Amino acid sequence: MSTINFAAREINFKIVYYGPGLSGKTTNLKMIYERVPGDSKGEMVSLATEDERTLFFDFLPLDLGTVNGFKTRFHLYTVPGQVFYNSSRKLILRGVDGIVFVADSAPNRLRANAESLRNLRENLLEYDLRLSEIPYVLQINKRDLDEALPSDMIRKVLDPSGEVPAFDAVAARFEGVFEPLRGVSRMVLEKLAQKA
Amino acid sequence: MLEPSIDLYGAAHARVRERLGELLERGRARYALVVDRKGFVILHARALGAPKPPSLDSLATLVASNHSANAAIANLFGDAGFREVVQQGSDVGTYVEELGPDALLVVVFDGGATIGRIKVHAQRAAREIRDELAGLRDIEAPSLDFDEGWTESTEKLLDGLFGPRDA
Repeated sequence: MSTINFAAREINFKIVYYGPGLSGKTTNLKMIYERVPGDSKGEMVSLATEDERTLFFDFLPLDLGTVNGFKTRFHLYTVPGQVFYNSSRKLILRGVDGIVFVADSAPNRLRANAESLRNLRENLLEYDLRLSEIPYVLQINKRDLDEALPSDMIRKVLDPSGEVPAFDAVAARFEGVFEPLRGVSRMVLEKLAQKA
Repeated sequence: MLEPSIDLYGAAHARVRERLGELLERGRARYALVVDRKGFVILHARALGAPKPPSLDSLATLVASNHSANAAIANLFGDAGFREVVQQGSDVGTYVEELGPDALLVVVFDGGATIGRIKVHAQRAAREIRDELAGLRDIEAPSLDFDEGWTESTEKLLDGLFGPRDA
C-alpha cells in the first residue's frame, strides 16, 4: 500500500490515528508536532469545528530521512472520533499503511473503545482490508485519570489474544506518544521490506 | 511486488512533466500537480514567475480528501463521482480532474487566467496524462532492494527521530 515515487525518490506511508471521540488522537499529533525537530516535519493541518473537535481530519507530514537514496516519509492522519462522522472516517482510511488505535482509559469509555474498534474493522472491510493484515498498535491513553481502568482490562477487551503491541500513555503530558508511533513505523517499514 | 498506487518514472515522467509545463503556459495557471488519491504528490510544476507555492503536502492531502468527500456526495445521488471540480475564490481558484482510478490532476490559477481557458487546457492535458498512466500499467516498475542494510538504516533513523526503543 505504500507509495513509492521513483522519480522523486520517495517512499511514503500513511499512518492513521483511530479511536473514539475525545480519546486524544489530535493531542497525539499536536505533541508530535511540538517535539519533532523543524527539519523533519511539515505543516500541521487541522480541519476542526469551532470548539476544536475534529471535523474531517488532522494531518502532519514527517520526514524520517534518506536511506539508499530514497527519502522516507510518514503522513500522519487522525479521524474524527464522534460516531456520526463515519463517512469521513471511511475516507481517511483509504490507502492506510499503519494504524495507532488510541483508547480512552475512563471507565465510562470502555464501550466506546470497543465500538470504535468494531467500526474500524467494518470500515477497513470497505477497502477489502482486515485489521490483522495491517501494522497496528494500541495506545492506552489518559492513564493519569483517577478512576482509569487497569490497562490489562482495556487490552483484554480490545485485543483478547494479547498480540497487538500496546503502550500506556498520557498524551497531554507527552508520555507514551513517540513509542506507539515508533512501533507502528517500524512495522510498516518491515512489511515493505518483506513484500519487496 | 510492491503495490504503489501509481508509478511514474523514466520517459513517461518526463512527458507528463512536459504536459504540465504546457498546461501552465497555455492556461496561464500558477501550479499544476499530479497527486495520488491517497494525497501524495507524484509530480508538480510551477509557472515561471509564480510565487513560491504553499506546502504541497498540505495541498495534495486537502485536494485528495476533498475529492473523496465530493465523490461521497455524488454517491448519495447515485452518481459514481464528479469527474471535475472547480473552486473559485476572489484571488485564487483550483481545478481538479480525475486521471483514472488512482490519480488526480490539480491546477491552481489566479485572476490572470479564465476558468474556460483553464478547463480547455486542463482537459487536454488530463487526456494525455491518462494515456501515459494507462501505458505504464503494462510495464514492470523498477524494483527496490530492501536488504538488511536498509532495515538497519531505517532503524537508526527511527532512533534519531523518536529516540531509542528502550529509552
